[in-house]
Amino acid sequence: MDKNTEWEWEIKPEERWFSLNLRELLQYKDLLFRFVRRDILTSYQQTILGPVWVFLQPLLTTLVYFIIFTKIANISTDGIPPILFYLPGSIFWTYFSECLNGTMNTFINNAYIFRKVYFPRVIAPLSNILFHSFRLSIQLILFVIIYLFFMIARHNVIPSWWILILPVLILLTAAFALGAGLIISVFTARYRDLDNILQFVLRLFMFAAPVVYPVSIVPEKYKFLFWLNPLTSVIETCRAAFFSQHTVNIKYLSLAVLNVFIILLIGLVLFRKREIEIMDVV
Amino acid sequence: MIKAENISKYYRLGVLGSMTLKEDIKNWWNRKSFIENDPANFINNNSKDYIWALKNINFEVSHGEVLGFIGRNGAGKSTLLKIISRITLPTSGRILGKGRSASLLEVGTGFHGELTGRENIFLNGHILGMKRKEIEKKFDEIVDFSGVEQFLDTPVKRYSSGMYVRLAFAVAAHLDPEILIVDEVLAVGDAEFQRKCIGKMKEVSSQKGKTILFVSHNMQALRNLCHRAIVLNKGEIINMGDPETVIAGYLKSETTQYLQQEFSDKASAPGNEFIRIKKIELVPQYINDYDIIDIRTPLTMNFEFWYDMEEEDDLIVGVHLFDFNGDCIFDIASPNAKFKKGLIGGQCKIPGNFLNDGAYYMSIVFVKNITQRMYYFESCLSFDVEDYRENAGWYGKWLGYVRPDFPVVLRPKEI
Repeated sequence: MDKNTEWEWEIKPEERWFSLNLRELLQYKDLLFRFVRRDILTSYQQTILGPVWVFLQPLLTTLVYFIIFTKIANISTDGIPPILFYLPGSIFWTYFSECLNGTMNTFINNAYIFRKVYFPRVIAPLSNILFHSFRLSIQLILFVIIYLFFMIARHNVIPSWWILILPVLILLTAAFALGAGLIISVFTARYRDLDNILQFVLRLFMFAAPVVYPVSIVPEKYKFLFWLNPLTSVIETCRAAFFSQHTVNIKYLSLAVLNVFIILLIGLVLFRKREIEIMDVV
Repeated sequence: MIKAENISKYYRLGVLGSMTLKEDIKNWWNRKSFIENDPANFINNNSKDYIWALKNINFEVSHGEVLGFIGRNGAGKSTLLKIISRITLPTSGRILGKGRSASLLEVGTGFHGELTGRENIFLNGHILGMKRKEIEKKFDEIVDFSGVEQFLDTPVKRYSSGMYVRLAFAVAAHLDPEILIVDEVLAVGDAEFQRKCIGKMKEVSSQKGKTILFVSHNMQALRNLCHRAIVLNKGEIINMGDPETVIAGYLKSETTQYLQQEFSDKASAPGNEFIRIKKIELVPQYINDYDIIDIRTPLTMNFEFWYDMEEEDDLIVGVHLFDFNGDCIFDIASPNAKFKKGLIGGQCKIPGNFLNDGAYYMSIVFVKNITQRMYYFESCLSFDVEDYRENAGWYGKWLGYVRPDFPVVLRPKEI
């Protein structure tokens, strides 16, 4: 063979660090959207209520929160009508936890494809995130409708200009779930017990974010720790955007952005490094 | 164009998931030192835990070449294709390549039962690396090839398994990469569909500049499609070259033929007080240059035995031929006759163009006075009959126990 052959690709025992290869990713964008489409088309197969569950699920959760935390535990909602207080928290939390759950089981859920065909593995978790984002947007529309109803009806619910930041909040939540999920996925593939522990941790983690209570009731000395969680910033900023009695804490929001960026970067690099090798043990 | 340099791969044996964290850390440490130190040393230390699926594989495939891989199950063929497909990583070595590659290790990867045929064509096509425009352009062709047009909007879980495979293969057949990696996908589907698939493979491979690597157990297909063949055994390349020669060598080494048994000592020879076997053999009259029994080869069975019965007794010797499932193909016998005590010889000729391809074994039976079985020498010989076809357009298995050579003739009839 010609000595001057210019090889276009190389397969080696070790994946290189920092080779995200965006060009290759772009080539597979059709696959990404096809996966999303598949998930949307198949997610409510053989259910009676079908897509109605997209609405019903956050509404039911909100109802449960209202009964337990407002009626029974008597926790403050900072003067916001309870349904409007719980709904965004619940929607964002569900979004986060489902994105995380899907991402961290990437290898296990997709093993049947990963064993047979190569494509950039990150397509699978990305499609999972996009699928949940689709559901999130529908749920947010539901929230806006209820919100408008309250605004017109009476109540001092006044939006601020911060609502324009909503897409950033969604992006932040998605990136957080993706980053953390990618890191965990590398380990769950090998140590299946992790899943049991993680489900438990995830449930606890919900209470570490202001989903069912306002930040105002958190003791001062724990506040910084509390704000380290990017979800705190996301939910609080969302509330501040829709209810002007809150103010957006820009310092903490920037901290959240920084944290998420670091987690996502670690996740992407680790995942990329291990994505092929890991399939020998799944 | 692909070049593999010193590819090796080890796999851990034992139950996956039973590993503890401690073991993992130990392994990680071992591996670090393995890379730095001598690999041979590593094998010795871990020979119980690890198996080398591939050892120092080197080969090159040039532009437009069709390369076939042969080997028994577990020889490492599939592992090698997986490494080239980037599904698993080699433990050492590297592969260099040029050109867009696509792998077909299975048909219908990613098919979703709840989705319609139409949706699945796109889903599977994208998974195999096709772009949307590419699939749209070839969509009608794919549907046409699959023959499931009527059911295009039915969820594939309602398909028969035949339809499912046809649709899956139809998508795969329209892949258009520069390098195609195919693993034993031809083994699926009914005979008619297999013919179509191989035809498509041939069409693809004859196109200029298509490089194909493929694994198959179908020797006819390999013979006809490949430019070169590689034989793998226990993870190593043991032969490489012209497909005809390589395949012949492989078949010869693989068959568990038992063509001759001879016993010089009468006392320990198989048999009993009446009959002792001296020699039994099957002599093929080879037709090809490779000394392989194929469907054309006439076979002669010779046997000799010590006879020790009364002179007035009638003797019949019967020959039984079985296929490997134990179905009897024939049961033939000598005319009854009387013999004196001593050495007796016999012969039975099986003509060429009679048996179908497959594995066979023979037994021989000695009968006294038409009804009394004196001795039955069971499975004394075994042999394989390989397939042979001239100008074959179809590579599926011919049905039936026999493959006779009498013609089926067609002629136009005046009305």
